[in-house]
Amino acid sequence: MIVAALFIAVQVTATAPDPRLERLDPETRAIVTAVVDSACNTGLPAEPLIQRALEGATKGAPGTRIVAAVRRLAADLGVAQTALGSRTTAPELEAAAAALRAGATPQLLTKLRDVRRPPLTMALSVLADLVASGVPPDSASTVVLALAPNARDADLVEFRRAVERDISLGAPPGGAAAVRALNTGIRSGYTADAAPGQPPPRPPSRP
Amino acid sequence: MFEQEDDIVERVVRQLRRPVSIDPALDARVMQEIADDARPDAPARRPLVRAWPWLAAAAVLAAVLIARPWTRGGDSSDVFQFVLVAPQAASVSLVGDFNDWDPARSPMRTAGGPGIWATVMQLAPGRYRYAFLVNGVEWRADPGAPSAMDDEFGTPSSVVTVGGRGRGS
Repeated sequence: MIVAALFIAVQVTATAPDPRLERLDPETRAIVTAVVDSACNTGLPAEPLIQRALEGATKGAPGTRIVAAVRRLAADLGVAQTALGSRTTAPELEAAAAALRAGATPQLLTKLRDVRRPPLTMALSVLADLVASGVPPDSASTVVLALAPNARDADLVEFRRAVERDISLGAPPGGAAAVRALNTGIRSGYTADAAPGQPPPRPPSRP
Repeated sequence: MFEQEDDIVERVVRQLRRPVSIDPALDARVMQEIADDARPDAPARRPLVRAWPWLAAAAVLAAVLIARPWTRGGDSSDVFQFVLVAPQAASVSLVGDFNDWDPARSPMRTAGGPGIWATVMQLAPGRYRYAFLVNGVEWRADPGAPSAMDDEFGTPSSVVTVGGRGRGS
C-alpha cells in the first residue's frame, strides 16, 4: 500500500504543470505543458523549454508564437540528443540546439563529441556565437572543430573575442575567423605550411 | 597555447616515476605491534560494532546527497557582472533564463557613475539568453556580449555561456 501511494505521488508530481507557466494564458499553457511533458518522456531537459516560454510571456509575444518557439526548441534538442548521445548534459544540449540553429549539422555535433572531452557546452556555444557575429556557418564549424581537440574553454572564449574584435574593427567575419585560426596554429585547413623537417611555427602570444 | 599543459604532464610523470623509499625498520615495528597484541594482558581493541550506527548514518546521508535532485548546474558556478550604459533610463532590469525572465528579480543599480547600470549574478554552467529591460518597456541586448540569433519574439537578446560540466534538468 505504501508503494502504491508512493507511485501515485510520483505520478502526480511528474504530471503537475510547472507553476511558473501560470504566466501563460490557459490555452498556451496547456500546449506548452504537453510539449514539455513529451520532451521529458524522451529524456530531454524541461528547463530550456520552460525558459523559452517564459521569455515569450515576459516579452508579450502571442501564444501561437510562444508555442512555435517551444516546439522548435524541443525539436532542436531532440536532434542534438540524437547526435551527441543520451548521456549529454542539459547545458550541452542547449548549446547544441543553438549551434544547430546557427547552421551546424548533426554530423558536426557528433564529430565534435568524438574529438573533444566533455563538457562540450563552450565549444558548441562559441560555434553559435561566431555565426551570430557574421562568420559563415561552414567556416565557424571548421574552425571550432579544429580547435576542439586541444583548446581549453578559456582558449575558445578568447578566440571568439578576438574574432569579434577584428570584426568590429572592420575585418570581414569569415576572414577574421580564418586569420585568428591561423594564428593559433591549428592543423586543419588553415595551418601555414612548415618547412620540411621542421616543427610547425609556435603560436604567437595572446594579444 | 598549450605548452603549459605539456609541462604539467611531464612534471607529474617525473614525480610518479620516482622510486618510493620505505623505512627499513618498518618490518620490525609491524612485527612488534603484532606481538604486543598477542599478549594476554594486552588491552582489548574497541569493537567495530560500536561504530556501526555512525557508519550507517553516514551511508544514509551520502545516499540522500547523491539521490538529491540537482538543480541546473551546481558544480562550478561563475560570477558575472552585467553592465549597461543608459543615461536616460529611470530603471533597468536584467532579465533572462537565470531568473525565469522575471523583471522584478534582478533590478540593476547605478554604479560607477550616472547612467551606468550594473548588477552581479552567480551562474551555474550552461548557456543563458538574457536582455535588459529599460524603463519597464524597452528591450535591449547587451552590446558587450554575443547576440542570440533566434529572436523569435521580435526583440533582441544576448547570450552568456558558463563552461563546466553542469547537471540537472
